[in-house]
Amino acid sequence: MGDTSAVSSSRQEGHPTAPPARAGLEGADLAVEATASARTAPSRTTISLTVNGVRHRLEVEDRWTLVELLRDHLDLTGTKIGCDRSECGACTVLMNGLPVYACAQLAVWADGADVQTVEGLARDGRLTPLQQAFIDHNAPQCGFCTPGQLMTATALLNTVPRPDAAQVKQALVGVLCRCSNYHAIVEAVVAAGAQQGGAA
Amino acid sequence: MSVAVEPLTTVGHVTPRVDALARVTGQAKYTNDLKLPGMLYARVLRSPHPHARIRRIDTRDASRFPGVRAVITHENAQVVWGAGAVAGGRQYSDAIKAITRQRRFIFNNPVRCVGDAVAAVAATDRHIAEQALALIQVDYELLPFVLEPEAALAADAPRLWPEGNLCLDVDNNAAPVVTEHGDLAAGFAAADQVFEQRYDTGFVHNAQLEPRCALAHWQGETLTLYTPTQGIANCRHDMARDLGLEDHQVRVVCYYMGGGFGNKNQNQDADLMAAILARHTNAPVMLEYTRRDDWLGMHGRWPTVQQYKVGVKNDGTVTAIQLIGYSGMGPYRKNAGGISGIELYACPNRYRALSPVYTNRTTSGNFRAPSEPHGVFGIESMMDDIAYKLGMDPVEFTLKNMVRPTAEQPFTNYSLDACIRMGAERFDWQARRKVVPGSDAGPLKRGAGFSFMMFRAALGRSSAIVQVDARGRYTLFVGVTDVGPGAKTTMGMIAAEALGVPLSQVDVVSGDTDRCPYSVGESGSRTTIMTGMAVVEAVKDLKRQIAARGMPTGDDVLIASATPSPSTDGKMRQCFGAHFVEVDVDTRLGTTRITKYVAVHESGRVINPQTARDQIRGAILQGIGQALHEDLLYDPASGQPLTVGYYRARHLTHLDVPAIDVHFLEVDDGYGPFGAKTVGESGIILAPAAVANAIFNATGKRMTSLPITRDKILGAVG
Repeated sequence: MGDTSAVSSSRQEGHPTAPPARAGLEGADLAVEATASARTAPSRTTISLTVNGVRHRLEVEDRWTLVELLRDHLDLTGTKIGCDRSECGACTVLMNGLPVYACAQLAVWADGADVQTVEGLARDGRLTPLQQAFIDHNAPQCGFCTPGQLMTATALLNTVPRPDAAQVKQALVGVLCRCSNYHAIVEAVVAAGAQQGGAA
Repeated sequence: MSVAVEPLTTVGHVTPRVDALARVTGQAKYTNDLKLPGMLYARVLRSPHPHARIRRIDTRDASRFPGVRAVITHENAQVVWGAGAVAGGRQYSDAIKAITRQRRFIFNNPVRCVGDAVAAVAATDRHIAEQALALIQVDYELLPFVLEPEAALAADAPRLWPEGNLCLDVDNNAAPVVTEHGDLAAGFAAADQVFEQRYDTGFVHNAQLEPRCALAHWQGETLTLYTPTQGIANCRHDMARDLGLEDHQVRVVCYYMGGGFGNKNQNQDADLMAAILARHTNAPVMLEYTRRDDWLGMHGRWPTVQQYKVGVKNDGTVTAIQLIGYSGMGPYRKNAGGISGIELYACPNRYRALSPVYTNRTTSGNFRAPSEPHGVFGIESMMDDIAYKLGMDPVEFTLKNMVRPTAEQPFTNYSLDACIRMGAERFDWQARRKVVPGSDAGPLKRGAGFSFMMFRAALGRSSAIVQVDARGRYTLFVGVTDVGPGAKTTMGMIAAEALGVPLSQVDVVSGDTDRCPYSVGESGSRTTIMTGMAVVEAVKDLKRQIAARGMPTGDDVLIASATPSPSTDGKMRQCFGAHFVEVDVDTRLGTTRITKYVAVHESGRVINPQTARDQIRGAILQGIGQALHEDLLYDPASGQPLTVGYYRARHLTHLDVPAIDVHFLEVDDGYGPFGAKTVGESGIILAPAAVANAIFNATGKRMTSLPITRDKILGAVG
């Protein structure tokens, strides 16, 4: 993030592969922006939302993402941040019943929403059939993507009670597992559906 | 000699993980889930340039920014990250630290790649820390850079280090690492035909889902470090060594961690930065890497160039193998940069000259079977090619030439024939293989490929403590962390089996250097064998105590410990495997679809069939990603990385996953805990070679460059 003169002055003969000066320019722009924002406190908004059945009314910084709100301010750390850039799906939660990447939602957008996280799946210590199937089928390896897989699969099972493997793969495509335990995850969701759908 | 395994009570049975409930309810606490009172957040500023000298760094605006508590740079925090660059790429130790000349600091000047750390800020809030990063003014003098290993060895190449770009070896000599067997010239003289081919392989990021973070907390002169690590004991030694502390002044805690695949071994620069910031601020500091930080600031598998020359007789006997290899290590020597594979052949005349080379790309280091998948891709593509050129079945060619036990080099047991024959039968190799590669009419072409391997399953030193109380409750203390394969569960199962009690009677305490004895670390496929043997030995001692003194009463406990260093009496101990793959290649689109995959492994006795199977399946999928997709591309004009992150590196998703049949051939060679060998790394070794060979069989075109992306296939068939 150097000043632009430093960047341009060093672009000389014999350095045909020197990076373009824009890298330095971008850094300078950022610095100006940050200096300006130093003079103003981050703006805040009061929102109401329901998380795992509990109503909250709280003031959030407008720059907080939903996953930050959940993890840092509501102490719901079950939801993980894998990439913070909408690539991996580890942070998936249910918002009004639909799976969303919580890293790609601002907290203020959750005003009035009903949010469900992995902590809200089990009721009174009773696991959902999906959670039990995850245990039985060894669906978590390192476990870091597990909350995202569980929440996305929960949304699927709410709409397609007995999905086949192809439907599960299609629904879960946005949640990566670098341990690549994909087989076990799909087996678990299919088994949970078979059990749950059968009981319904 | 190996024998068929006798059934056991706990070991060998499908067993849910002991911590599965915490993992599916969101209660499992990973490092970044922890909070301490007064905790600060820290973020890292990184170089935007591939190579530059920092003329001046001005942190005054950043330091004055409200909420900022500390800013550290190369000027005020000159701390050697010992494990970040080690002479000869050897495991970090006091001796290695002493001789390492090309040292890596937590902040380096010059910066040597895009993403090299420049400064770190601790603030009351992560957004404030991020804002402050943008206020740090760095005056860079840009330096010329080099990205490719062979180009970096040219006499006029830009130098990353004063000694030149060839990495120094463990004796600080700048020379290729040569390994030699037999008489290469005589081997080529005895050959009827000699084949030469160049292969290259890309950079594959470990890409574990949990980005690096570290929470450091000082109490007096004692540091507690919560960090995702693949070895709490190694991390503690490294932290103490780098910070000038005694081991007992450092406590490392890791209860859950989100994968590593080799890039969370040893201590991390993030750990050191957090510790230093916590010291400066007198507050606990949580340092967080962004995904981009983790991609560029950590490491992945080294890219390689492999030039092979192989001599064969017309009957298919290999007489000589030569490999001239280059490994791109990035700017720092974190690992040896090995290219393994030629050892898989019995050919007595073998020569390998390996040049690990510095480049201005991101650092290379351990990734699951660090030296194998790319090397096995190279040599087994080479051999597959030769087999077809001689009109032979690659399986028959392999059975003729693969390494076997000899009088000079006995094995504890040997299963390569059995793995290959079982795989060929289950896959139906004869029916699926195209005798004439590429012979399918039409644009959609089907073919089959095969590869084989063996991988170390060595014994070694580790420790365990086991205790029993008056209620018959057993507690096992082992310094393992569970990086994904289920080490806590595996250790508990071994203890339960050895004790003759159900697993439900055993509590496993792990992941904390204050509570657990030394363990070897979750790298090198060592935990199950080495710490598992320590568990077996500790239980033996406990049972002797119980026999001598009876079960404890009241508040008494009996405690036993063991630190065995078992040996194989000079015999080689290996696990074995063979993979068979069928692919459909659409030559109009350049796409490859895997239609059948059979993996046969001999990993000794399998402790937990479920987690073992999933280790193999997951490793194969990572290997398929390496074969077909993953790379870190750079813009040669600017030195900027282009494919950072999951989306651009195109990791496999749920939809990309083929069915995979995994079969274990179980044997007990009399070594290791109940005969267990390695699993975790071995599965990744064979996928790139097998997939590449299948693509050849389908298309008749030899793919010599990983990853085999659509453009490369279209270029070959066009």
